Amino acid sequence: MSEVSREQRETRRESGGTPAGDGATLGMQVQDLSAFYGTFKAVTDVSMDVQANKVTALIGPSGCGKSTYIRCLNRMHEVIPGARAEGKVTLGEEDIYAKSSDPVVIRRRVGMVFQKPNPFSKSIYENVAWGARINGFRGDMDELVERSLKQAALWEEVKDRLKESGYGLSGGQQQRLCIARTLAVEPEVILMDEPASALDPVSTQKIEDTMDQLKQSYTVVIVTHNMQQAARISDYTGFFYIENMGDPGRLWEFDETEKMFSNPERKETEDYVTGRFG
Amino acid sequence: MPRETFQQELDGLLSDLLELGGEVESSLENMVKAMEARDVDVARRELGVDVRYKMRGMDIERECMILQARQAPVAKDLRLLYTVQSVTNHLVRSGTLCEHICQAVAETAERERDEDLEIALVEMARTARNVFNEGLDVFRNRDIERARDLQAKDDKVDLLYSEAMNLIANPSEGGGGAPEWRMRAALMVHYLERISDHGVDIGGSAVFLVTGQRIEDAMKQYLDRNVDGA
Repeated sequence: MSEVSREQRETRRESGGTPAGDGATLGMQVQDLSAFYGTFKAVTDVSMDVQANKVTALIGPSGCGKSTYIRCLNRMHEVIPGARAEGKVTLGEEDIYAKSSDPVVIRRRVGMVFQKPNPFSKSIYENVAWGARINGFRGDMDELVERSLKQAALWEEVKDRLKESGYGLSGGQQQRLCIARTLAVEPEVILMDEPASALDPVSTQKIEDTMDQLKQSYTVVIVTHNMQQAARISDYTGFFYIENMGDPGRLWEFDETEKMFSNPERKETEDYVTGRFG
Repeated sequence: MPRETFQQELDGLLSDLLELGGEVESSLENMVKAMEARDVDVARRELGVDVRYKMRGMDIERECMILQARQAPVAKDLRLLYTVQSVTNHLVRSGTLCEHICQAVAETAERERDEDLEIALVEMARTARNVFNEGLDVFRNRDIERARDLQAKDDKVDLLYSEAMNLIANPSEGGGGAPEWRMRAALMVHYLERISDHGVDIGGSAVFLVTGQRIEDAMKQYLDRNVDGA
């Protein structure tokens, strides 16, 4: 865990409660983001600085808007009929909700791994190569597939059966295959929505180790219900919370993971991370 | 409330710790009585407490480890377990020092003493006991405002330490008591100073438990705030 001085922490709190990071650059900046399903407001007024090359974990009770929020970060939310988002999400210099932004390009730049592994009914090799190919990749495809599988910590297990179906892999391997598939299109940010919740402990550990490697090259945002997982793998943690039934979800507290799991500022956060509710 | 069993286990652990604290307080009370009255019988009552307190301390630490392994505590629960381990260590060590002092009282009962030095020693014993009791009380009631005062009370022990050491190093002509007694007195002075320090640390643990801040940091912030307000 990186060290952040008290002075930096104080500066951060005075500047509105979003971690300024320990010299890290900004991966994404979210300002006043709200998400709707028709007229129902599911998430309200989320502002968050997502640091580049860090893992940001989102935790909170079921139904508090974590998955909705994360899907807004690559414009996946709006594919649901009637769903829309308001606010500003900046990726690099680009406002991803600007009229000039192409959602397809945004989704290439901000990849996503889902809760259940969803490999294509293709070979292991094609699962990884496919996304890159349709995005116009013209380089050495064998090298890209090998590199992506290595980054996803799957290469050693599949290098001798790349032509076999992705369906033949175990659940944990399938999920790492989906991570490799996401990496192959070389995104800047990887979103993960409970990527290990359906996996056994050994597979979960492999996914967690993978994430630790991934942040060397990518910015990672992960939704997890496993608080110990958030504590183990993330640099920053955001706690989403609904104060009253029927209200939209809010980002209740956002800070370094070390702080969130040792001495959070708000009582609700402490009650949640200590398992006193939720 | 979810995690009721865990909460009961934490409550039980805290209760065990405070019970141990109460017993160490009683030992210190006997130590002071033995020193005040040169009462060998009272001093001998405390011989053997060291082993008993160490065993109790080990039980508490074992329970802390089991709870950490089984319950993966975080935030205030984690701070509580950390603090319980730390306070246990202070209690056990204070108990050990108390036994050493009582042993010295018992073994030097017949030796000639320096009256001024004995007065300083007894005063130091009373003060160290008071600091220890207050530190434990601060922790028991999580009364963190009072934790800040403990250091000032410990300063009195430090003054008495200097005074006693001076008397040991520079005995009056024809006085000073038996050499063996003076040697044991030097050790007792040191042990009493340590007991007082343990009391300060036990009280300071309450600050960390409640706020997540070290008392040193809290003190600094408190002092800085006064300066800013001036």
